[in-house]
Parts: sequence; structure tokens; C-alpha cells
Amino acid sequence: METDNLSDLTAACIRCGFCLEACPTFQITGEETESPRGRIYLIRSAETNKLGWAEIAPHVDRCLGCRACETACPSGVHYGQIFELAKAKMPSKRWRSSLLRQLTDVKRARRQFQLAALLPGRKLPSFISRLLTKQPTSTRIPRPQELRNYPPLEGLPPIKGQVALLRGCVMDALFPNVHEATIRLLRRLGFEVIEIRNQCCGALHAHSGDLQEARTKFNQLVTSLPRDIVLLTNSAGCGSHLKEYGATAQDVSEFLYENGLVDALKMSDGLACRVGYHDACHLAHGQGVRRQPRELIRSVPGTELVEIPDSDRCCGSAGIYNVQQPILAKHLLDQKWGSIEFAKPDIVVSGNPGCHAWIEQARAERSSSIQVLHTMEFLEASFSGLFD
Amino acid sequence: MFGSAELSALHAIVGADGVLCGASVERAYDCDAYTVDRSKPTAVALPKTTGEVARLVRWCNEVEMPFTARGAGTGLSGGAMPALGGLIISTKRLNRILQCDIPNRKLLAQAGVVNSHVSKVVADAGLHFAPDPSSQTVSTIGGNIAENSGGPHTLKYGVTSPHVLGLTLVCPDGEILTLNRREQTPDLVSLIVGAEGLLGIVTEAWLKLTPLPERTETALIAFSTVRAATQVVSAIIREGIVPAALELMDRRILEAVRMAFGLEFHPDTEAMLLVECDGAPASCRAEIERVGELSSGALDFRLAKNEDERSRFWLARKKGIGAMGRLAPTIVTHDGVIPPSRLPEMLEFVYAIADEHQVGVANIFHAGDGNLHPCFYFDDRIPGTVERVVAAGEAIMRRCVELGGSLTGEHGIGIEKIDMMPLMFTEADLIMQSWVRRAFSPGNLCNPCKVIPNQKGCIEHRRRWRGAAT
Repeated sequence: METDNLSDLTAACIRCGFCLEACPTFQITGEETESPRGRIYLIRSAETNKLGWAEIAPHVDRCLGCRACETACPSGVHYGQIFELAKAKMPSKRWRSSLLRQLTDVKRARRQFQLAALLPGRKLPSFISRLLTKQPTSTRIPRPQELRNYPPLEGLPPIKGQVALLRGCVMDALFPNVHEATIRLLRRLGFEVIEIRNQCCGALHAHSGDLQEARTKFNQLVTSLPRDIVLLTNSAGCGSHLKEYGATAQDVSEFLYENGLVDALKMSDGLACRVGYHDACHLAHGQGVRRQPRELIRSVPGTELVEIPDSDRCCGSAGIYNVQQPILAKHLLDQKWGSIEFAKPDIVVSGNPGCHAWIEQARAERSSSIQVLHTMEFLEASFSGLFD
Repeated sequence: MFGSAELSALHAIVGADGVLCGASVERAYDCDAYTVDRSKPTAVALPKTTGEVARLVRWCNEVEMPFTARGAGTGLSGGAMPALGGLIISTKRLNRILQCDIPNRKLLAQAGVVNSHVSKVVADAGLHFAPDPSSQTVSTIGGNIAENSGGPHTLKYGVTSPHVLGLTLVCPDGEILTLNRREQTPDLVSLIVGAEGLLGIVTEAWLKLTPLPERTETALIAFSTVRAATQVVSAIIREGIVPAALELMDRRILEAVRMAFGLEFHPDTEAMLLVECDGAPASCRAEIERVGELSSGALDFRLAKNEDERSRFWLARKKGIGAMGRLAPTIVTHDGVIPPSRLPEMLEFVYAIADEHQVGVANIFHAGDGNLHPCFYFDDRIPGTVERVVAAGEAIMRRCVELGGSLTGEHGIGIEKIDMMPLMFTEADLIMQSWVRRAFSPGNLCNPCKVIPNQKGCIEHRRRWRGAAT
């Protein structure tokens, strides 16, 4: 059903309830109001003026937007779209838009992340968190990666094409090495990379219901791109959003898989380790990308891919959810870490900066020896080795 | 009356995070998967133990507040709708498996445990919980017990009741009863299973675990007419073959399933049979081969080559009803039973009735035991549609009873079919049933206005329930 009409979108739900157990917040609370079916019903009721938007806001705000319900839904309900349209109708929170402004401007974000070193435990003081969310904080402000010295690339094939890589906002500020690894992998296959800097796709805005700003950011990005070029992203949230808004975009794992990285990896030095793959929601549920990253990891000589139980269950990061709903987010993170430990990997990888930073926090809290990496960092390490 | 005194009384029983109330909660809990009638609860409580459930029930008795149990809310006859308002007692936090006795093939689960979770937990021991309603990935053991749920494999393994060895019941007055099939005469477990929550709230149950079959063969068989498919069903049963499952899907279901899961089928297909045989390898093979011979007139006979393909066949069947959302915004799934030999004429009747009332109908059902599920699809936002759907449903149920069948196979009577009870039961039967109810529940607080008709006051409430749905 191609429509952006909330009444039609919500009417697609026939209340069978098959989404319930897929929903992390329903699993934790057991409350119908915290389930996809319940939320759709509440949104439908607000749309027909049977309930007020402010009344249903707490339940919609508690939704992660992980879209696991879409994977479970036999009726093809576009929950992600319903969620964003509903968020747009909610009374706005000024601190939220200011937080988004900070995060999506790379320079400002980097400065903020660095300043966080001054905070005890890198956490927002609890009185501020309580002021904003009525809950104590649990989210550490992540530390930006230090730039690695990758060895020079040697024995490369001739250039056979160009691709664009969205450096984005959060990824660029926190994980510059992921971009470096991505660019190196693409170059190893003969692709020259045009880096798109200081541009935000608008995914975090759309996710928070600021649809106007999302559209503006998207349009700016698309018009700045060279013609006839594939836009690649290594951030699941961006990829899912770009595809939905109609850009010619791919997750970098899809592109690398289709363009011969499997064969190249098989010729690489490899890594002797057990690797667990965490499915970022916006890759697995948002884009249906599950197989490609796994196949790539499997192709690394010496590496054993181990399955993490419920690998496609949200880790709780979910954009800025871990700032807005610290208690539920922490619960999900602890669950996720338990599943990771169960699989006993040496390294856990995923394809999204939010998951990456959030799972890294769980690791740091436990001083675990399991390494947390982006899929691209791991794959590049098959050629150039791991960094400590 | 629900004010701060009532709220703190409930807090004292289940804690502050165990009570929900407010406009959003009233809305979200005003119906289950049956949406034609709706009614708001006053509040929702989420207990974690049998003791808490008992205290909630005793409190409801003290303040004379009606109470209704609710599991996942996937019921299709409105059993979890709080018909007279009051307290919803949700079992969703009674979600622990308390004991697992693998050598004796049984397991003690709380009522809110999800059906398929039980099978998952014991799969490594080569066991499973046999009742498999299509909703099994979300529906709860408590709900399955209340409705005596069936499922595709009911044909060979039986419905929920024979798989329940004992249970813990909180009676309508708050007393806790532990029932065991072997120890009591009369067999009260059989009375409670399928009582639709009228005789109390089941909080725990000992479930029988069944060994996984050594071998399973699954076939999808396409036919150019519905009649041809139903004739093969009759032939299979006549031969004395008892497949593990024998399911029929008609063209409209197949179209929805194709849209949802990309299941491809022969372009001339009007009906599809899903046949599954299981057991020892040799007999299982022989059975499915015989089914193949009996289906010689079919367009296409596909045997699942591996477990992957088998689960794809089943995904289409189990989520077929859900996929109906691709055809229209609202569906109502009916549930009636007829002798399997009358299938051909009954299906023709179903299509004719739907045409006459101008609503879309699709059929996906347990052909082997004659359990029909005509599924009406429509847009409930168009005035007058709901009434036409209700009328068409009633005509179908009447016909089921006329053909020697029953009003419900597995979805229950609930609120949906209460008016149709006299079609099947005489006045004396119904009086007898209400005596049984009164023996357990002297007042009218425990899941009121359900199953047994002619309860004073219920008729006038009906208009309010229907009004709430629009």
C-alpha cells in the first residue's frame, strides 16, 4: 500500500498479534500498550480523535523503532512509516532537537564527545537526565576512536569505477577508522571513493519525527552527489533511511559482497578467531540485509562465524533512545551482552555506529576481553591485521 | 468506581509497576484479535505468581468488580474482552517455566508462557508440546487452555486438553485449587480446559511433552477446483490414513500468501492441500506416496525436499490468516465444524453466502477434521459493513449445525457466538451449563457475559460493545 496516510497505514493492521513476541519492549513489560499492535491501535485512535496525541506519547516514545515487528508481520504493515508520522504529531521536546543538532553536525559532535571526558564516568550528570527523562542516566558518552596507522596499500588492481561514501555524522565523529577500513576495502576491489563530508542524511531526524528537517537534509545530500553514482553507507540507520526516501543507496556490505570481496578475502592472510555477528535492526529489519555480512565474515580464512542467540533483537541503542529511555535501553543492552557471552566469540561485529558504541559500553563496564568492531574494521583486519 | 483507594489496594498486591490505567490503557485492552465488539477495562493488573492472582481475585470480590483474564490477546471470539469493564488480569508476567521433567516427559509452566517457547526449550531432548495453533509463536499456554486450542496437527495428536496433565486454578472466589487428572474423579481438568475463563483463572499447568516424529514428509498439492481438493480429503480419510496435518487453502488465501511470502503456485490453482505425514520412516513414506496416488487428478504435487522448504510451506499456512491484511483492512475469521464428508457442498455454500452479503471471503482450514475457517475481509470504516459480515457469519454457523457439525472447533464461543448457542443446545442443555458455571462462580464477576446466553443485562450491553468498535 503506497500511501502516507496514517488512517490507511494503520488500517493495514488486522490485530493478529503475531508481532508481539518480536517486540523488545513488549517482551520486557508484557504490556499491550508497549507492543506494536497496541501502539498502532493507539495511533489509529489518536488519528480519529478518540485519544489525544499527548496521551499516547509515552507509549510511542518507548518504541525503539527497531522494526522487528515488520519482519514478523504477515500483513505487511509499514510500522516504520507509521512510527515516524506519529512522532511528527507528538508535542515536540526542545531538548531533543537540540541534541539532534549537536549529534548531526560532525565538528560540534566531535567537540562534545571530547568534552565528555570531563564528566565523571563519561555519563551525563543524573540530575540533568532526570530533568529530561525522569530516569537516571545509564548511557556513557562514547569516546571518539583514535586514528589508526594502517599500512600503505600494495598490489592493488586498476581503478574500475567510482562510488560515493557517506561519512555522515555520528560515524564520522566517533569511528573514523571504520571509514578508513571501508575505503581500503573498496580500493582493494578497484573502486575509487568519493567521500561525502559534513552531510547528514536526516535519519535521526525522521526517527524522532522531525520530518521537515529530515526531508531538507536528504534533499541537500542528494543534490550534492555526482550523477549516476552509487551512494554507499556503513551505517545501518542511514542506509535504511536513504533507501526509504528513494536514493540509489546500498549498505557497503551489500556492495562489497556483490563486487567480489568474498574472493579477495579468501586470498587474504585471515584471522584465527571466533566472530559473533550482531544484526543491526536497520540492516536486518529495515533493509533485509542479513546474509551478506555473514558470508563476508565466513570468507575470512581461519575465522569461525558463531551465531549469537536472537542476534536480530535490538541492543537498545536505537538512535538516541538510550538517552531518552535509559532504563529500557540498559535492560536490552544487558540482555544483548548475555547473548553475546553465550556464543563465546573473540570479536563481536555489527554494521551500525549506535550499536557499536552501545555494545562497547557493555564491554567496558565488564572489562571483557571480547573485542567490539564494525564489520568493515574486521574485514580489513583480514588483510592488514588487528590493532589492539 | 476506581479511585486512589482502589489503585493503592492493587499496588499493595502486585506493586506499582504491576498496575496500568488511564485512557491509553483502556483503549489498548478493549479487545483482543476479535474486533467487532469492544469494551474498556477499568484497569489492568500484571501479577507474577499464583498467590498474586488469588489476592487480585479476592479483592475483586470484595469490591464487586468484574475481572477477565487475558494472555497474549490473540483470541478470535472476544474471550479476553472485559465485557462489563473491571479488572483485566494479564498473565503476561506469569512467564516462567517452573519445572522440567524430561524423563517423565512433562513440564510445569506458568500460564503466560508462549506456546512455541515450550517446544523450543525441550527440542534438544527430542520432545515438543504438540498443540500448535497458528498463533503459537505468540499465544500463551493459559489462553490455549481456556480455548482448548487446536491447530493443524490436532488431526493426529489431539487438541490441547489431552496434553494437559494437571493445573493450578484460581477459582472465581479466590481459592487456589490444584487439579490432577489421575487423582480426581470426576475429571475436573477436562472441565476447566476449554471453559473459556468462566470457571476461574488457570495460573500454572503440567504439560505433556510428545517425542518429535522420527521422520516427516510434507506435500503441497494444487487443484484446479475446490471440489477436487475436498474430494481428495474425503478419499484420504476413507482410506484410513491419519496424516499429521491435512490443510486446505483456497485461491484468495494463496494470493495473500504469495504477496506476503512469495509462495509460487500453478496459475490455474483454485485450492491447495498441505498434507503432512509423520512417524517411522517406512510407514511415513508409504503414506505420503499413497496420498500422491489419491491426488492423481491434481495440477501439481510438490514434496518438501528439506527442512527449509518444509518450514516455507508451513509459514504460508500458519501466517496465512495474518497475510489477509494485504487484501483488506479488517478480517473476521470464523470457526465452525462439519463432518469432513460434507466439505464440498459446505464450501460452495460459504462462497454463495459471501456473495449474497457482498463481503470478500477466503478459506484456510483444517480439512482433515472438517474444521472450517471462512475468513471475511472488508473495510470496517465503511458504514454497514460490520452488520453484513455478522449476518453472513451467522448463516454459515447455522448451516454447520444443520449439517451435523458444531459452532466452534477451536476459537471458542466468547462474546462472538453467544447468541448462536441455542442453535446447538436445547434450553435444558443451557440451563445445565449455567448450573455448572454457578457451582464455580456464584456471582457474575468472573469473565461475565461470555459463552452462556440469556444472562440478564448482557443483551443490552451488546449495543455498547458494537458502538465502541466504530
